[in-house]
Amino acid sequence: MYSLLPLLALLVPLCSGTLCLLTCLFSFLEEFSKKTAKILLLISATLSLASVLIMVPYCALGEVLEIPEFGLRADLSNIAALVATSALFFLVSIYNVRAERGGRLKPGIYNFFLLLFLCCMFGLLLSYDLFGIFLFVELVVGVSVILVAHNPIKLSTEAAFKYLVITALSALFVLIGVLSAFIPTGVSNLLSLASNWEAQAKLAENPTLIMFIIACFIIGLGADIGLVPFHGWLPDCLPASTIIINGFTSTEPIALILTLYKLVRPFYEIYPSNAMLALMLGVGSTSMLFGSLMAYSQKDFFRMFAYCSIDEYGHSLFILSLLPQPESFVAGQFYLITSTLAKTGMILSLGSVYYNTETSDMDSLGNLVKKMGKTALSYIICALSVAGMPPLSGFYAKFFAYSISYNFFYIHGGFPAAISITLLLTCISLVSFIFLIRAFQKIFFGRNIRNIDVNGEVPALMWLPTIILSVALVILGVRPDVLLKLIG
Amino acid sequence: MELMALITLAAASLITALGCFARSTRRTIIFLSMQAIAIGTVELVHCLINLIVGLNIEALVYFFITFAEWFSAAAVIPLILYWGVTKTENILDEPIIGIRRLILFASLITPLYVGLWLFQPPALQGKMASLPFCMLMFSLSIFLISTRNDSLKILVGLNMAENALYPLLAESPITLIPFILALMIFVTAMGTYIVVEAYRDYGTISVNRWRWLNK
Repeated sequence: MYSLLPLLALLVPLCSGTLCLLTCLFSFLEEFSKKTAKILLLISATLSLASVLIMVPYCALGEVLEIPEFGLRADLSNIAALVATSALFFLVSIYNVRAERGGRLKPGIYNFFLLLFLCCMFGLLLSYDLFGIFLFVELVVGVSVILVAHNPIKLSTEAAFKYLVITALSALFVLIGVLSAFIPTGVSNLLSLASNWEAQAKLAENPTLIMFIIACFIIGLGADIGLVPFHGWLPDCLPASTIIINGFTSTEPIALILTLYKLVRPFYEIYPSNAMLALMLGVGSTSMLFGSLMAYSQKDFFRMFAYCSIDEYGHSLFILSLLPQPESFVAGQFYLITSTLAKTGMILSLGSVYYNTETSDMDSLGNLVKKMGKTALSYIICALSVAGMPPLSGFYAKFFAYSISYNFFYIHGGFPAAISITLLLTCISLVSFIFLIRAFQKIFFGRNIRNIDVNGEVPALMWLPTIILSVALVILGVRPDVLLKLIG
Repeated sequence: MELMALITLAAASLITALGCFARSTRRTIIFLSMQAIAIGTVELVHCLINLIVGLNIEALVYFFITFAEWFSAAAVIPLILYWGVTKTENILDEPIIGIRRLILFASLITPLYVGLWLFQPPALQGKMASLPFCMLMFSLSIFLISTRNDSLKILVGLNMAENALYPLLAESPITLIPFILALMIFVTAMGTYIVVEAYRDYGTISVNRWRWLNK
């Protein structure tokens, strides 16, 4: 169905961001901008969420909302991700009201970049055009880098520069992949590529070209996501960014990982190669192993969270890479969304700890449970969900994912392969469980060596979003069908 | 490939190589500008001839877009980086070639060359004849990025790598090129802003010194 709603979803954050930018361009509006910046961001986030929610009834009925000229499309394959991204952005905007303490960017410019970031996320999810995807990837690079540099500490500029170099180079790999696909076929729309026999025949003639394109996409988007071995920027950027930016950027992988899937899937259908699967599964499993093992040895909770994120990205990619299994997309997207909800809850809870104590060193923290009970509760619920404990949504996501991977490896490698992979995945979850619970014990129950004085719980606008996320994880654990209905 | 295009691409590759070994930041930026001029000139002259011969709106649009592409790569981006030098410092250094840097360089370049080797160029003959030159310039730019400590030179290297892909970009839809250019300028401006901010924090634009000062 031809509909302008996908374009509206893109324009709402873009236009409201531009309005925020205008408020700080004129000196007479500067005072107004300072006073209203946080409320303006919250209103913009609400409008963006509303613009996405309008599409839900149509998509839930199986309608496809599209603008073929722009290569934009909303349907059951991306609506759940759109809702999750906008809802998380809205919750972090509530958190931002009390947690934002200012930085290098003026409030209006800061809001502009945040809303541009949301626009990029929507663009990546809605766009089916190769060049459109490249433009959004390049824009994400510039915006994310400047948001990391917003933190007025020394560490942020060094981390932002490292992030810029890695991700700007990776965007060039995306461009090489896009051009390598477009030049021989003349088709830039991924949906047209799936239905254009002539273009498919041209690509099928040259399987090595397809492998080259896929490798470019994995290198390009893998570096933006933070997958091993392109993850170098992630453990530096998290401690260097403000706690709010960490909250906002934790929503990024939903769009980026699904974009990688969207790019790979049509090429796999043209040339179903085991090498392609091996490449993606290899990157996914290496990220899982590396992330969980590195997270185990961290003393700084932001760095631990960074490696835990790498582990979770690896899980999501691993499940989505089981392309021959028809359920892999549903399971992968369910895993991706629930793990992002849990990770956002975790990073906001850890942000609250940092807000009150000014330290992220777990060895110096302890005994915070009495004064920060709500934060402790939300952290433990989110951490248990990430570790896959029942009855939380993480358990269902992991159970669904493991059964699909067992079936896939049973068909393709027999019983020993299937059982080995399932055991490996279980061991990785166990490691995650150990380091997340150990962090909880150290931060909230351990001995407070440095006698850090905490006045009390963080303001309600900071703990409320984390509690909402925890409740969402419980609801999705008990009733996963609520989310599954939205994933085609 | 036309002889003129071949000569200019060879010249652009030579300029990129000179840029890799230039000592001062300013000189590296000048080489960036020269590389962009060399790469864009053939396409620009082509469009100018088409405009003069054809005298139609389509040729005019193509000419303007190609000119914008050429101008942004040859003037706007180098000027942004030059502004960065005026706000910070002009570092004199030489490429540092160590085992770690060579591994970084090789790991970035090897997949591309393996890809090119496996590519079976006959399938793309004609359309991607400039590919070997693009790959050479891209590799040299990666070499520049991986062997320097000066953050502005690293940004120059990133832009040289982007410029190296311009002959391939000519094959993309013409309406998209202005957006791609705007984004490339945006990313360069953000990079320069970060370097200037880092200079305020650390008093140097050397990446190694930033790490040392953090410790």
